[in-house]
Amino acid sequence: MKLLIVEDESKTGDYLRQGLMEAGFAVDLARTGLDGHHLAMTGSHELIVLDVMLPDIDGWHIVKALRDAGNRVPVLFLTARDCVEDRVKGLELGADDYLIKPFAFSELLARVRTLLRRGSAPVLADRLQVADLALDLLRRRATRSGKRINLTQKEFALLELLVRRQGEVLPRSLIASLVWDMNFDSDTNVIDVAIRRLRAKIDDDFEPKLIYTVRGMGYTLEAPGVG
Amino acid sequence: MSAERTPRRPASLALRVTVFIGIATTLIFLVFGWIVERSIEHHFAEQDADELRVVVAAIRHALLEGPSERDEASLQKRLAGAVSGHHGVFFSVADASGKQVYASPGPDLSEISKLAPVSHVDANALFVWQDQQKTYRGAVVRIEFDGHVVPYTVIVAAAMDFHLHYLMSFQRTLWLATLLASFAAILAAWLAVYQGHSPLRGLSSKIRGISSDRLHLRLASNQVPIELAELVESFNAMLQRIEDGFRRLSNFSADIAHELRTPVTNLTTQTQVVLSKARSIEEYREILYSNLEEYERMAKMIGDMLFLAQTDNLLLKPERSSVDLVAEVQALFDYFEAWAEERGVSLRLDGSAPALQGDRLMLRRALSNLLSNAIRHTTPGQSVTISLASENNLVRIRVENPGSDIPPEHLSRLFDRFYRVDPSRQRKGDGAGLGLSIVKSIIDAHEGRIVAMCVNGRAVFEIALPQVEDSTD
Repeated sequence: MKLLIVEDESKTGDYLRQGLMEAGFAVDLARTGLDGHHLAMTGSHELIVLDVMLPDIDGWHIVKALRDAGNRVPVLFLTARDCVEDRVKGLELGADDYLIKPFAFSELLARVRTLLRRGSAPVLADRLQVADLALDLLRRRATRSGKRINLTQKEFALLELLVRRQGEVLPRSLIASLVWDMNFDSDTNVIDVAIRRLRAKIDDDFEPKLIYTVRGMGYTLEAPGVG
Repeated sequence: MSAERTPRRPASLALRVTVFIGIATTLIFLVFGWIVERSIEHHFAEQDADELRVVVAAIRHALLEGPSERDEASLQKRLAGAVSGHHGVFFSVADASGKQVYASPGPDLSEISKLAPVSHVDANALFVWQDQQKTYRGAVVRIEFDGHVVPYTVIVAAAMDFHLHYLMSFQRTLWLATLLASFAAILAAWLAVYQGHSPLRGLSSKIRGISSDRLHLRLASNQVPIELAELVESFNAMLQRIEDGFRRLSNFSADIAHELRTPVTNLTTQTQVVLSKARSIEEYREILYSNLEEYERMAKMIGDMLFLAQTDNLLLKPERSSVDLVAEVQALFDYFEAWAEERGVSLRLDGSAPALQGDRLMLRRALSNLLSNAIRHTTPGQSVTISLASENNLVRIRVENPGSDIPPEHLSRLFDRFYRVDPSRQRKGDGAGLGLSIVKSIIDAHEGRIVAMCVNGRAVFEIALPQVEDSTD
């Protein structure tokens, strides 16, 4: 999995590269728009993380050049301007997703994974299983060690998200957005409470524990010995 | 091109008033002069007519007194004597056959002999003509005697040059007077306008003295003429708004500086302390986590401030679509349910409202901020109520919760940025103090209104949003 990062701010670029490499990706880093344009047009990347504000040629040009050349590589753009027009423009030009600076790295990682997954065929299963936890997606039921666990609808949706993306650290904002459709930060610890309640039902009476808190990042569900 | 578009400056007030008064005075004097002239002219005509009547009576007398048989010589003598003492009066007498019996020396009266004879002299029916550069006024009078078979026709005329001379000099005087009066009136008007504007100049120089550091100054509305009082009051009101905005802005900057300085100081100190000696990996990790939390808080604050700056500058316009408020509130209840339950707070929805045209994301954010604020300030065992209602194209959303009384002086300032009812409650738990400001800016962007009230120990936030018609664009 090779990614391209186009970012002129040197510290940001370095940390993005380090973070993504440590998450298991191969990374090319371009520090100017021209380099980025060249690498994007010639290299074979699975995904491009593109800063919009570049000193020489801006990110929009690169996206447009790619799309004009028929290149469908997913593009995640980074913008410092929290502007509706900016987002709309980017998405219209063919970018696939956006993040507003400042963003959390865990958020970036989650979105990169989502975009990469998009290309592959979705898993059309009616059952999900992690260790002894089983989810019946049709009847919206969860069992652990064969024991039925009563979950509310939202709790089930939350658990399904964690299971589907097991091993990935999911930031709180992403969970709020995917489960409750709340696309903004609130000052509250709503997600922590929801996870705590889910844990009480899933993990408290069972071993091994499946849901983990990744401090400063978010939550992840993992079967022991797998990750 | 731009010069073409610039609208011309309207004419100066002094010019307008002066021109208007000048025209009005001149017209008034002209009309007045015309009336006076007419009346004098008429008076002269009457005078002449009187004179001619007297003359006609004398002639009639002379003709009457005569012996029954003709004696031309004595008749002529009598006629000549009849008008003695009347200067500038001329006449001729003709008998029925048209033969001239007598003609006084003077102008040729045959000019008007063709006129139809009248029975007596009427001032309005006098004929005016010129002969040898002199002007005369005259009439043809038929004189009939009872029992006399042959009537005489008398032509009488009076010279009117001295009248005309008088009129002409009168006209000249009148014109001169009109001119002088108009000039005087214009001058007076201009002086009055200039003088009348002196309070304006006074105001202007006072206004000029109000600099940004002296915005507290106000103009005294009782020290200006009544016409300017309203202007002064509106100006003062504007000044008040500017001062408020200015103060809020400088407070905002100070608050931003303060809000950012505190975490940055913490971070710096913490990092320096940690770096001052070698520590275990665990300790380093701990400090990084602690830093991370601080960074996230700052990032959120920056995001909120950006949002506010954009709504302030009208950069963020609501993308209107149909919003089902009941569904929105239900979704928010879903979201906050677990958290509220943990705090022992229950959530209730009352009433309903028709779908509204608005930006779903923005409205959701506003309601979410209000709801989390309400839940946070509710004592366990109580409930937060959201009530929806609609009336007259207005949708009302009330978010209320029982809780501690909010002192009235805080109510209006709740929506100010970084404003906290309790200044000691900095930072912890309450976010950066921008939540309610964001609510207000979102409601403002939707052209709605929001008020905070305190009713019987219940904190109430009431939003009124206009029901915008579904636009097709």
